Amino acid sequence: MEWRLYARDRVAMFWTMAFPVLLLLGFGTIFRDGGGPKLSVVRVQSAVQSPHDAALDQALTDLQLKVQTLTKAEAEARWSRGETAAQVEPDGEGYRLRLNSYLMAQAGATAGLVNQAWLMAQARMSGAPEPQRIPVQVESPGHKRSTNYASFLLPGLLGLNLVSMGLFSVGMVNVSYREKGKFRRLAVTPLPKWIFLLGQVLHRLTITVVQAAILILVGRLVFGIQNQGSFSHLLLIMTLGTGCFMAFGFALSGFAETSEGYAAISNLVFFPLMLLSGVYFTLDAAPAWLQHTVALLPLAPFLRALRAVFNDGAGLAGHGLGLAIVAAWGFAAFLLAVRRFRWS
Amino acid sequence: MPAPALRIRGLRKAFPKVVAVDGVDLEVARGEVFGLLGPNGAGKTTTLEIIEGLTSADAGSIEILGLTWEQQGQEIRSRIGVQLQSTSLFNKITPREALDLYGSYYPKRRGTQELLDLVQLEEKADAYHVTLSGGQQQRLALAMALVNDPELVFLDEPTTGLDPQARRSLWDVVRRMKGEGRTVVLTTHYMDEAEALCDRLAIMDHGKVIATGTPASLISELAIPSVVELTFEGAAPEPAAFAARLGQAVERRADLWEIPTPDPKTLLPRLLEAAEAAVVPFQQVHVRRATLEDVFLHRTGRSLRE
Repeated sequence: MEWRLYARDRVAMFWTMAFPVLLLLGFGTIFRDGGGPKLSVVRVQSAVQSPHDAALDQALTDLQLKVQTLTKAEAEARWSRGETAAQVEPDGEGYRLRLNSYLMAQAGATAGLVNQAWLMAQARMSGAPEPQRIPVQVESPGHKRSTNYASFLLPGLLGLNLVSMGLFSVGMVNVSYREKGKFRRLAVTPLPKWIFLLGQVLHRLTITVVQAAILILVGRLVFGIQNQGSFSHLLLIMTLGTGCFMAFGFALSGFAETSEGYAAISNLVFFPLMLLSGVYFTLDAAPAWLQHTVALLPLAPFLRALRAVFNDGAGLAGHGLGLAIVAAWGFAAFLLAVRRFRWS
Repeated sequence: MPAPALRIRGLRKAFPKVVAVDGVDLEVARGEVFGLLGPNGAGKTTTLEIIEGLTSADAGSIEILGLTWEQQGQEIRSRIGVQLQSTSLFNKITPREALDLYGSYYPKRRGTQELLDLVQLEEKADAYHVTLSGGQQQRLALAMALVNDPELVFLDEPTTGLDPQARRSLWDVVRRMKGEGRTVVLTTHYMDEAEALCDRLAIMDHGKVIATGTPASLISELAIPSVVELTFEGAAPEPAAFAARLGQAVERRADLWEIPTPDPKTLLPRLLEAAEAAVVPFQQVHVRRATLEDVFLHRTGRSLRE
């Protein structure tokens, strides 16, 4: 029933289905060749082109850096717009590196490469033998075949999409329907709350599965990304994750009076979950107690299992505990949701 | 003898700023159409929502079909039908789907087609809810209240905001409910509706029941069964001087004076004489029977619509 009503809301349907696909297409196309974003450096032209300038440029290109050669004025303008991460300028007989403190990760890596290039260039000019470099190999952590950026992105998009759907759309819709009194009429029927909520979760689950299927299909047709693991494992993980985060959304919606209030509450939960779950940075430097606590959050084990199956073709062995954590959170959240749910 | 359809004792509900229901006692017999009449804010809807289990009371006891919410909540829910003051449905649901859906929540249900016939919505059965007129939406809400074949039906202002024709057709549905042997409890602030539909009435004001009885008995209990009206073109003038000359209370409404009297026959000649002497520029004279409006006015000193 819900599903039928939902299908009639064409605009909502289009965006829920199309948005992740568009994201995938967008990022996938930008970073199509090679592993992730390429490092680039701005090279300020010397007044007089000297032999060591030529050697450095050659070495930079050999090291696969994207070099952008600009005049001093052009480079200055670009720098002040904040678009430059790292810039090599002539300084007396040698060079000077200018790094953008806002883009340190990128700038730092670039600086390393530039220095390496300069060592190479000096060696070549003095006729010394080519310095030996330690060979680098790019691999995904599961030791399977290294894949491109889009295939790294896809499970992340699936997971993120599902979390945001659970926390933001589901809970928000729930609160706003309650605000508009759409549930009041149900309150005078003998329908138990838990059946109503379970129905809502199942309804959303079907939407998510369809959404995931579309995303995987597009990934396969456009970028040739294969699901490396078994589809039944994937389905199991997705179902657990969806159930868990939907229940989260419903539970939180029981704490908000208005949709504005809900926006605040869901952000309060979403951001710590996101930041602490190792999506953006690892927590190796954090205190031990924090790491232990974080290990109990549901997002990280969910994403790990999803990536392991999808990208590395791993089985579920070794993810049992993680998935159990996800399921436990889901169940607890559902109980809380039933307890807190109000019709009006 | 079965328990009454509804028995309420000492019901009280206070909100932070106002006491909405202040010690209400009611008893409704089976098969009766019972009306709660009163102006907006009299506490009718709050009373109804407490009975329906939507709002909790601060004090008092409620027995519905001999059952209590504490003991048999689910059974009460499956045996009553409810129409809320505003039934907010999903925009793109059709009447047929809504009846199927809500019917599926109950152990006992009436056929969707039968309900659509009853409220004359066959033609709109497959139209989206947003495209229905106000009257059609209200009729659907009424059909939804009957979906579980309830013994007791609650209707909260079923005709508010409808045009006269839509109101009549809704009244027909309520009469049919009574014909089927159901007990109906409705709220309204239209006295004509209360007179036309209800077997018995409770008049509410400021959270209290100020009178109970059949419409006829409420009117005949008034010492003044008739009202003489003088209508004016435009606003009615200040009647104080004229009232003194006549030796009778005169009340001013927007464009008329009302003079309640137990004996219009002897009042009329005196009235016309006095009006001529005072050069009162009235247009017409009407004599009418007192209505529930006058009962309310008499009991509270205020008009129902104020």
